[in-house]
Amino acid sequence: MTKQQIDCELALRQILDYVDHELGDHDHSLMEQHLRTCKSCFSRMEFEQRLKRKVGELREDEVTSPLSERIKGLLKSF
Amino acid sequence: MAVSRKDFEEQVLGLLGSLQGVARRLTRNDADAEDLVAETVARAWRALDSLASETAFRAWIFRILNNTFISDLRRADARPRLDSIECEDEDAEGGEFSIFEQMHQPFLLWFSNPEQEFLNKLLREDLDRALVALPDCYRVVVILSDLEEFSYPEIAATLEIPIGTVRSRLARARSALQKALWQQAQAYGLTNAVAARSECAPLETEAQQRGATARLARGDKGSVQ
Repeated sequence: MTKQQIDCELALRQILDYVDHELGDHDHSLMEQHLRTCKSCFSRMEFEQRLKRKVGELREDEVTSPLSERIKGLLKSF
Repeated sequence: MAVSRKDFEEQVLGLLGSLQGVARRLTRNDADAEDLVAETVARAWRALDSLASETAFRAWIFRILNNTFISDLRRADARPRLDSIECEDEDAEGGEFSIFEQMHQPFLLWFSNPEQEFLNKLLREDLDRALVALPDCYRVVVILSDLEEFSYPEIAATLEIPIGTVRSRLARARSALQKALWQQAQAYGLTNAVAARSECAPLETEAQQRGATARLARGDKGSVQ
């Protein structure tokens, strides 16, 4: 059986899906195989991954006390 | 009814931080964000019969949040903001902007990395400003994907759009975000400083120099040109 491979063009098209963990098992493993051998695509993936993480650090999930009280009051009223 | 009253309360309180964070980013105003969350919870309770299963709760309540936000804008006739909600999904091809492609220098790869240095220098405020400046329809997909870690199917369910549209909208949103970051960096002179330092970066050891020469001689196999 011939070992499947993907080229840089396909790898670059799928790079955001890879970074977002949205590739299926088969495509994910083909992508990993390509990234192990292609420094340029690996660098691109690393850049997109780091940028995604940095954007993710903007997340705020502290609930302010007035909202918390307001919502608890609202839930009691249902 | 897919969830009991007690489960509804637990789910809402467990997601309250995320709901408030996303509402803040949508409304760009703390008081409006609190009103939006309260209205969302009230609407969700009234629409509890429309929840298919408990596992779909997160996408379901964020869909109500997003729809409440849009209907509030419509009621206020906030024309510029409404225009910003409408995405032109048909225009999916072309015009993609990538900081990596602007900065990456394959032949400097082994001793300097300008695009990574760019990220190192990127401040939270820079990212925040670029995210705030995105049109609403782009901002919301970045918030759901990168801040709230929604999967593509969850984003599709939240925004009631096909998964293919999630994918193309995210690609264009990230391209717009990178373009805004690039323009900010150019305004600060950061891109020139990073590029200049990369050009001048010396090879630190003889071994690095020999490695670089050998790589140049055989070409960069990893380059996608």
